[in-house]
Amino acid sequence: MNRLSRQITSYWTQFRSVVRNEFRTIFSDGGVMLILIFALLIYATVYSLAYGSQVLRNVPIGVVDQSRTHASRTLIETFNAGPNTYVAYEPSDMEEARELFYDRKIYGVVYIPADYEKNLLGGLQANVAIYCDASYFLMYRQVFQELVTTIGQTGAMVEFQRLIAKGANIPQAQAVTQPVIYQSHNLFNPYLGYGTFVMPAIIIVIIQQTMLIGIGMIGGTWREHGLYRKLRPAGRGRMSTLPIVMGRATVYAAIYAVTCAYVLGVHYRLFHFPMNGSAGAVAVIMALYVAACIAMGIAVSTLFRYRENSLLLLLWTSIPVLMLSGVSFPKEGIPEWLFNLGKLLPSSHGVNGFIRIQTMGASIGEVFAEIKWLVILTIVYGGLACIGTHQVIRREEREQTREGE
Amino acid sequence: MRRALENTCAVMRREAGRLGRQPMYMVLMVILPVVSFAFFALLFNQGAIRNVPIAILDEDHTTLSRKVAQMIDDTPTAIVSYDVQSIDEGERLMREGKVMAIVQIPAFFEKNILSNSQTHIESYVSGTNITVNGLLSKDIQTAVTTFSAGVQLQILMKQGLTRQQAMAQIMPVRFDRHVLFNPHINYGYYLSPSFMPMMLMIFTVMATIFAIGTELKYGTSREWFRTGGDSTGAALAGKVLPITAVMFLISLVMLVIIFKVVGTPLNGSLGVILVGTLLFILAYQSIAVMIVSLLANLRLSLSIGGGYSVLAFTFSGLTFPIMAMWEPMQWVSCLFPFTFYTDIFVDQMLRGTPVVYSLPDLGYMLLFIVLPLLCLPRLKRVATEEKFWGRL
Repeated sequence: MNRLSRQITSYWTQFRSVVRNEFRTIFSDGGVMLILIFALLIYATVYSLAYGSQVLRNVPIGVVDQSRTHASRTLIETFNAGPNTYVAYEPSDMEEARELFYDRKIYGVVYIPADYEKNLLGGLQANVAIYCDASYFLMYRQVFQELVTTIGQTGAMVEFQRLIAKGANIPQAQAVTQPVIYQSHNLFNPYLGYGTFVMPAIIIVIIQQTMLIGIGMIGGTWREHGLYRKLRPAGRGRMSTLPIVMGRATVYAAIYAVTCAYVLGVHYRLFHFPMNGSAGAVAVIMALYVAACIAMGIAVSTLFRYRENSLLLLLWTSIPVLMLSGVSFPKEGIPEWLFNLGKLLPSSHGVNGFIRIQTMGASIGEVFAEIKWLVILTIVYGGLACIGTHQVIRREEREQTREGE
Repeated sequence: MRRALENTCAVMRREAGRLGRQPMYMVLMVILPVVSFAFFALLFNQGAIRNVPIAILDEDHTTLSRKVAQMIDDTPTAIVSYDVQSIDEGERLMREGKVMAIVQIPAFFEKNILSNSQTHIESYVSGTNITVNGLLSKDIQTAVTTFSAGVQLQILMKQGLTRQQAMAQIMPVRFDRHVLFNPHINYGYYLSPSFMPMMLMIFTVMATIFAIGTELKYGTSREWFRTGGDSTGAALAGKVLPITAVMFLISLVMLVIIFKVVGTPLNGSLGVILVGTLLFILAYQSIAVMIVSLLANLRLSLSIGGGYSVLAFTFSGLTFPIMAMWEPMQWVSCLFPFTFYTDIFVDQMLRGTPVVYSLPDLGYMLLFIVLPLLCLPRLKRVATEEKFWGRL
C-alpha cells in the first residue's frame, strides 16, 4: 500500500511539473502559439468570410434572340426573373456569344431560333438551345437549373393555355399539364449555403492539423535542443512515460477547450452556422475528438528531429485529410480502400459525427459508430504516444551519456 | 556580366552540394510532391458519384408507386436502400448517416392519376453536402418528370392524339442542352487541376523558404553571399534557380498525371500551360523570398508562407466562385498567383480558349515575380548581419 501511494505521489509530482513546463514552453514560443492557438481562430474567420455570402446568385448569361418577337421577349424576361441568372448581354450571333464567353463575361448562352413564336402559336414544338459552362461546377448548376426550370414553366404555361382554349376546365387542364406535382425540400441547409456545407468540416480538420503540426513543433524543438530531459523533476533519477503523456495532453486539452468553445459558441453565432445539436452531445463528440487528436499529435510529435519538420512534412496533408473525410468530395466517389484508410484519422469520424450532431441534430446514440471509432483511436494513439515518448527519452539519455564520455 | 554569371554558377555549385547532402530537399521537392499527386490521381480515379443511398416512404403500395420508386432507383446517383414506414423513421436514418434523401409517395397516388386528378411527390434531400444534394435533386426530379410525362402521354394518346402530337402538346418548348467543356460533369476534371498545382505550390514555397531559412538558422548565410561575390542577385539566383528547375521537372510529372492518368482533356495550348506553370513556380518562389527576408526566421517564415499557400485554394474560385464572394473578399482573391494560374489552367485545359485571353493572367503572375523582389536590399542585410541569425 505504501509503495502504491508513493508511486502515485511521484506520478502526481511529475504530472504537475510536466504541465507547468508545457505551459511555459507554449506561451514563451510565438511560433507554437501561432499554430496551436491562433491558427484555428484565423483560419475559421478567413474561410467563413470567404464563404460568407453563402450562395451564388445572378450569374450573367447571354441570349441570342433570332426570333425578336413577343413570345421570345417573354421567355427572356423569365430568365431575369429567377434569382440565379440574369441576362447580361444579348449578342447578335453565336460568334459574338462565344467571345463573351471566353472573356468570362457570361457563363451560359440561350439560343432562340427565328421560328420560335411561329411554332408556339401554330401548336407545334418550339426549340431552343442552351449552352452551359461546366468548367465551374457551381456556375453550371445554378445556370442549368434556372434555365431548365424556367423553360419548363414557360412550356407548361403554353400547354395550359392551349388546353383551356380547347375548352377544358381548369382542374382538368392542371391534371393534364402536371399530373404529378413534384416538390423538393432541402433539409438542414435550406438555401444550400456553401459555408454552411463546408465550414463545419473545415473547422474540424483544422483542429486536427494545427494539433499535429503544433505538438510536432514542440516535440521537434525539444528533440533538437535535447530538452526532453528537462521534463525530469529535479532530484529524480528516471522519469515515467505516463505522467509525461498525460501532462502534455491535459495542457493541449485545456487550450483547445478554450479555442473550441470560442469557435462553437461565438464564431458559429457570428456567421449563422446551424446549431441544431444539444450542448451535451456537441461537448461529448468534441471532447472525444480532441482527445483522439491529442493522442495522435503526441504520438507523431516523437518522430520529429527538428523544430521545422512538422510544418514541412504535415502542412500539405490538410487538403487530402479534408478530402478523405468524405465531405467536400463525397465518399461515394472515393475508392473504398482509400476511404477506409482514412478511418485511421480522427478527422474522418470527427467530421461526420460533428456534422450529424451540430447540423442535423442527431443524438449521441445516432452517432455511436463514430464515437466508438474515436475511443478506439484515442486508445491506440495514446499507446503509441507512450511508446514513442519512452523511445525518445531513452535515445536522448543515450546521446547524453555518449556526450558525457 | 561575365562576373555575375560566374558568381551565380559558384552559388549554384554550392547549392547543388547542399541539395545532395540534406535529405529534406529530396523529400520536399521529389518524394512528397509525387506522393501527393498520386493521392489525388487515386482519389479521383472513379470520377463520378454513383449510388448514394436514399429511403422511400411509399404510402400507396401500388404498381404505379412502385414504378416511380424503380425509376428513381434506376438513376445514376440514387439507389433505394431503405423502405421506411414513416417520415420519422426516414429522418432517423438520415441522422444516422445512412441515407441522404427521403422520397414520399402519398396514399391514393395511383387512384388520383387514373382518375385524372393531380397528385404529388415530395422529396426531402439533406443539404449538409451540397454536391450530393445537387446530383440527387437533379436525378430524382428527372425521374419524376419522366414519369409524369409518361402519364401525360398516355392521357393524351387515349384522347386520340398521335405520339408526335402528344409530345408537342406536353413539351411546347423543347430544349437541346449543350454542356460545354466537361459534358459528363467529371469531378476529377474539376478538382485534380486545382489540387495538384496546390501541392506543387506548397512544396515550392516550403523548399524555397527552407533553402534560405536554414542559412540564417545555422549562420551560414554570410558564406553563401561570399560565394556569390557579395552580389545579392547572384546569391539569390544561384540559390533559387536550382529549386525552380527541380520543381519545374516535377510539374511536368504533374501534367503527365493530370492529362494521362486522370485523363482530363487538353483543349487549348500546352505551351501556355507550360509557360504559366513556370511563372507560377517563380511567382511563389519570389513571394517565399520576400517572406523569409522580412521575417528572417526559418520557422516563422514557414508558418506564414504555409498559411498563405493553403488559403489560395479557397480564394481561387474553383469551388465557390469569386463572383459570389463579398466584394472585399474578391479583392483578397487577387493576392494569390494561384487564382490567375487556375484561370489559365481552366481556359487552356477545358475551355480551349484562344491564347490571347490568357495573356493578362500571365502578366499578373509576372507582377508577382517582380514586385516581391523589391525586398532584396533587406535580404542582403539579413544575410550578412549576425543579429538575424540562429533565431528559433
